[in-house]
Amino acid sequence: MIDIPAALRALAEGGVEFIVVGGIAATAHGSTRLTVDLDVAYARTPENIERLVKALAPFSPYLRGAPPGLPFRWDPETIRNGLNFTLTTSLGDLDLLGEITGGGSYENLLSDSTPVAAFGVQCRCLNLDRLIQVKRAAGRPRDLEAIAELEALREERDARRG
Amino acid sequence: MSERIGWIASASPPFVPDPVIEAYKKDIDRTLLRERLRLSVEERLLDLMRLQRFALEWREAGKRAFR
Repeated sequence: MIDIPAALRALAEGGVEFIVVGGIAATAHGSTRLTVDLDVAYARTPENIERLVKALAPFSPYLRGAPPGLPFRWDPETIRNGLNFTLTTSLGDLDLLGEITGGGSYENLLSDSTPVAAFGVQCRCLNLDRLIQVKRAAGRPRDLEAIAELEALREERDARRG
Repeated sequence: MSERIGWIASASPPFVPDPVIEAYKKDIDRTLLRERLRLSVEERLLDLMRLQRFALEWREAGKRAFR
């Protein structure tokens, strides 16, 4: 599990440009499904990578599932040389995504994200239509129920708006 | 090809219902969704964290009981 308020606070207060995507974005939209990690799409600019590294350094990021002792340096060079990172941190499991299937980069997703205020910070969350679109594009059988729930949420939301 | 480029540029292809998704949708508990939509985003995230804690404790209890 992840300490969602602390993770969002660390990223937002560190000035990191990021968008909450995946299961926790679905929760923000009203999904009832259990998810245990925080997925964020982050901007790959040199400045943002510096901010990201600095913001998460206090939480000891390490590659999730990697054997203990595997050399892993949490620094800007490592982030520049990679793209998507599945990490374990002292706050919980965190996935940093330079690109997402069917959605592309942070810049591609930005216009389809919405500012969300929670836990005293403001961050951006992928909007419901785009979330459905990227989950459909991922084409994973295990997402079928999740997509059905998201589409039902959209119908309920639209019905409430009249 | 031009159709594909147009799809990327607009980033919002027309919504086409998927029969498989529609079949799954029939089993969704909409009363639960309506309850969730009444909550703020922060309340929804706090609920998720409570559920995560419960799942973790339940899993540990299972390990203790069945080892």
